[in-house]
Amino acid sequence: MISLTRRLFLAGLALAVVAPSFAADLPKVIRLGSPLVGTGNRPVGAGNSFANAQIKGLLEQEFQKDGIKIEWNNFRGAGPALNEAVANGLLDVFWEGDLPAIIGKSGGLKTKLLLANGRSSNLYLAVPPDSPVKSLDDLKGKKVAVFKGTAVQLAAGKVYAKHGLSERDFKSINMDTATGNAALTTKDVDAVWSSSNILSLEDRGVARVVYSTRKDPQAQSLNMQGYVFTTEEFEKKYPEVVQRIVNVLVKEAAWASDDKNRNALFQLWAKSGTPFSAFKRDAEGISQKEVQSPLLDEYFVALVRNSVTEAQKLKLLRGNLDVQGWFEPKYLNNALKSQGLDNYWKPLDAKGNAKL
Amino acid sequence: MTSIPRSVSALRLPPVLAGYLTALSRGLLALLLPLGLLLLWQLIAEQQWISPQLLPPPTQVLDSLLELYSSGELASNLGISLARVLWGFAAGSAAGLLLGVAMGLSPRVEAYLLPTFKAISLVPVIGWVPLFILFVGIEESLKVLVIAKAVMVPVAINAMKGIRNVPVGFFEVARLYRFSLWRTVRKVVLPAALPSLANGLRLGLSNAWMALVAVELLASSEGIGYLMVYGRQLFQLDLVMATMVVIGVVGLVLDQGLQLLERHLLTWRNSAY
Repeated sequence: MISLTRRLFLAGLALAVVAPSFAADLPKVIRLGSPLVGTGNRPVGAGNSFANAQIKGLLEQEFQKDGIKIEWNNFRGAGPALNEAVANGLLDVFWEGDLPAIIGKSGGLKTKLLLANGRSSNLYLAVPPDSPVKSLDDLKGKKVAVFKGTAVQLAAGKVYAKHGLSERDFKSINMDTATGNAALTTKDVDAVWSSSNILSLEDRGVARVVYSTRKDPQAQSLNMQGYVFTTEEFEKKYPEVVQRIVNVLVKEAAWASDDKNRNALFQLWAKSGTPFSAFKRDAEGISQKEVQSPLLDEYFVALVRNSVTEAQKLKLLRGNLDVQGWFEPKYLNNALKSQGLDNYWKPLDAKGNAKL
Repeated sequence: MTSIPRSVSALRLPPVLAGYLTALSRGLLALLLPLGLLLLWQLIAEQQWISPQLLPPPTQVLDSLLELYSSGELASNLGISLARVLWGFAAGSAAGLLLGVAMGLSPRVEAYLLPTFKAISLVPVIGWVPLFILFVGIEESLKVLVIAKAVMVPVAINAMKGIRNVPVGFFEVARLYRFSLWRTVRKVVLPAALPSLANGLRLGLSNAWMALVAVELLASSEGIGYLMVYGRQLFQLDLVMATMVVIGVVGLVLDQGLQLLERHLLTWRNSAY
């Protein structure tokens, strides 16, 4: 009797020791994070393959057979709120705009940059339709809503600097996207900085765009970028899961880059509540293949570096950031190779010219 | 029992010095808790029980406090916040005094106003913000209005109670001397109700400070509450905590300052009774 209980006890002990190493191969749940919400706070983003994956349920499909639960977290508080969730250890894989990503990394978040997720999102400055404002200078001293701590703030700061202005020349009020748009329609603010979703307000006749990076020859260096990350901890524990997620995202980026899917792509994004027409206008004359390229080429690295220096100049970032050590391109390269997409997107040099 | 006082008297401290000593020891006691918390905080930060991005160590908070000070940001934002408090406090206490005195003196006014006033005062300051935004927008007038509302309630209620508690005999004497209403208020009611009024004003001032921070968190482009929001947006929790320290210290200084002033102004009263 005694030997039996002892044997059972030892077997139980052995199981308890071994079990965690089994579990380490696959997580029970993958916690994904997105800094975008759609109209009315719905958990739907737009503009990149990460958002597409959420709308289409691609990761749910990928991990269904393993019984892994996919948990989506969309943050109305955008990048700043997402960073807090990462610091609390609540997210595994997520995407963020340039400024919050840089701020999070320099603040000590242990993240790895896996691939680009939208290289160039246009920035808009809108005023009420009957406003006499015609240019940035007309807005000096007036109330301008900007979602601070997000990519919009950095892009707006770059535009100010280019025009010899700074945030201090305006009454810069921190408002999230929904609040800023609402405040513009009630004329509580004189202008709002925004991404393409503002075009839906223009369509409805309650806003007028006075400035956009769209037509700026230096649009790419002014515009917002998005990056996909995983935490160092998750990458170390589940490298195969990270690879599978990157595979899905790269495949989706290739679909989104194809010009014959253009209409389908904008219809997909319209599920966020911003209408089809807004995305169509935002992307007019712009090749999705350039915008959706997931590559971490020299050009992309230069864009990230530029964002870091600009954020430092604007005093949005303290200390420095080792950009090179932040990238983990091996998953992306595997995905490109395994899907035969090696030469699909053309890598560019630091100045944005095609490499020969 | 008697040995303790004897040993103290054996020191033969002059009473003034002894007074200072007790004040000093009381001050030290008050510091024990914050010091203990500070040590615990340092320990948590050192052991990284909470991620340092979320709870920066005290030294880092001190650094960013010093930086705020030396860059002049602290002074400019604090100045803006204090100006808002000043205006809101002035408007709120004037309205509160008027209302409180009227309700205290006349049971009829009280019957008309008090229930409504109570209902209004029970809606917290933050609950008024959406409505106020619709009326006055999000600029300075919003802050002043919200602060004024926060100040008015305790000032009015304390003024009313203070007047209600003036002994009836005082009024009888005033009537005997055929004092006019204004003279009764000035010479009899206000002096007798002064401690309660002062109490209301003090409560109003600390309410004003808290309301200010709340409203600056919501819609602002400058001020000490805004600094806190900004710190959070830029993932600089040390800045958030530094502004918390400033808010706490300024609130304490305001409260203690008014208490000192009150004690100073009421000294005549102690000798009068």
